[in-house]
Amino acid sequence: MKERGEAEDFVTPGEVLGKTSELKPGNGAYVSPQDNTVYASLAGIRSLTPPPPESADLRPTVEVKGHKAHGPVPEPGAIVLARVTKVMAKMASADIVCVGPKSVREKFTGIIRQQDVRATEIDKVEMHSSFRPGDIVKALVLSLGDARAYYLSTAKNELGVVSAESAAGETMVPISWTEMQCPSTGQIEQRKVAKVGA
Amino acid sequence: MEYVNPEGLRLDGRRPMEMRQLRAEIGVISKADGSAVFEMGNTKVIAAVYGPREVQNRSQQLNDQALVRCEYSMANFSTGDRMRKPKGDRRSTEISLVIRQTMEACILTHLMPRSQIDIFVQVLQADGGTRSACINAATLALADAGIPMRDLVTSCSSGFLNGTPLLDLNYLEDSAGGADVTVGILPKLDKVTLLQMDAKLQMDTFENVMQLAIEGCKAVASYIREILLENTKQLESRRGI
Repeated sequence: MKERGEAEDFVTPGEVLGKTSELKPGNGAYVSPQDNTVYASLAGIRSLTPPPPESADLRPTVEVKGHKAHGPVPEPGAIVLARVTKVMAKMASADIVCVGPKSVREKFTGIIRQQDVRATEIDKVEMHSSFRPGDIVKALVLSLGDARAYYLSTAKNELGVVSAESAAGETMVPISWTEMQCPSTGQIEQRKVAKVGA
Repeated sequence: MEYVNPEGLRLDGRRPMEMRQLRAEIGVISKADGSAVFEMGNTKVIAAVYGPREVQNRSQQLNDQALVRCEYSMANFSTGDRMRKPKGDRRSTEISLVIRQTMEACILTHLMPRSQIDIFVQVLQADGGTRSACINAATLALADAGIPMRDLVTSCSSGFLNGTPLLDLNYLEDSAGGADVTVGILPKLDKVTLLQMDAKLQMDTFENVMQLAIEGCKAVASYIREILLENTKQLESRRGI
């Protein structure tokens, strides 16, 4: 009995899940514009989520959970972790290594421009006092950017450097939103520090 | 030479509307994001999918959708005569483009802008119908990689010999000089994404031959769905769900 239930809940790409008047497509489902039908786009198990009680839309959301999701692609609004690779006068280059909780299998390139480092005193931002090559940065994807890289922003309290190494090679401890200290030498270095635990 | 004897049997003992034996396996390459081996009779094809990943050649990047690239190759030992082929010979380039266009039509590329999906297909053993097997293997590999698709693309070939439409030609039938029709469809959406033919056919005969190939594609789709379901069950039992 359970096996039959499992077989019935398993869907492959192209299978009909329902009509748009009855279902909302979630992850792994899409709507065909020609006939207003919801189809599966992944191979996996179908699941229904009831609508939130306060929502005016009474349609449940249908999702398909595959056993393996493809590597994530950065999209505007996503929080990413990136490793700074190059710091210039007006921007810093970084390799995106995580999108949300998922790591990307291969790197995507992003840049943090001078005007996106912090929300205050934008004209006085010094890139070399905010990031160094090798720092791990938590950032927000602003847009798909130009032809070369995604645009990232750290202009929020919870965004910025989350891990950095000092000149002595040790992981530094944040002591304020602009400073980090080396635990062995006591040297203080300037960074745009992310606020943790917020 | 007689390809269909009076009892209605082909050279390998099949009926005219019978397919060769299908076999498939998912997840055969651990380094790839998705991979599959697909066999149609004595034709054996392996496919690997990488991506979505960053576009390697910046000039080819598409800002609103993913770039799909495909590379098709035949192993030197895959045919009866071992021959050294240059990498970019005409037939490989044509089949690579055919597979790429077929897959582009079914992958939801707009969900992964400015990324690249690479499909590598290699023929390990060739016995006719290689491009159909390649498309089926690529579909399985994409499903294994979790790439969102409109539908599973399946492909099958058919021909016309001795006044009889034949399904799923093997090498001998393919070399007989008759017509060879290759069809790729989206079986649930009932759309044709690939249609190729060589030699000549009358229009009404062509309709019959194409309809036979479409039936073969739907049979392949049922088999592929079974493989995906079996794979999901195995993974769930291993995970202890």
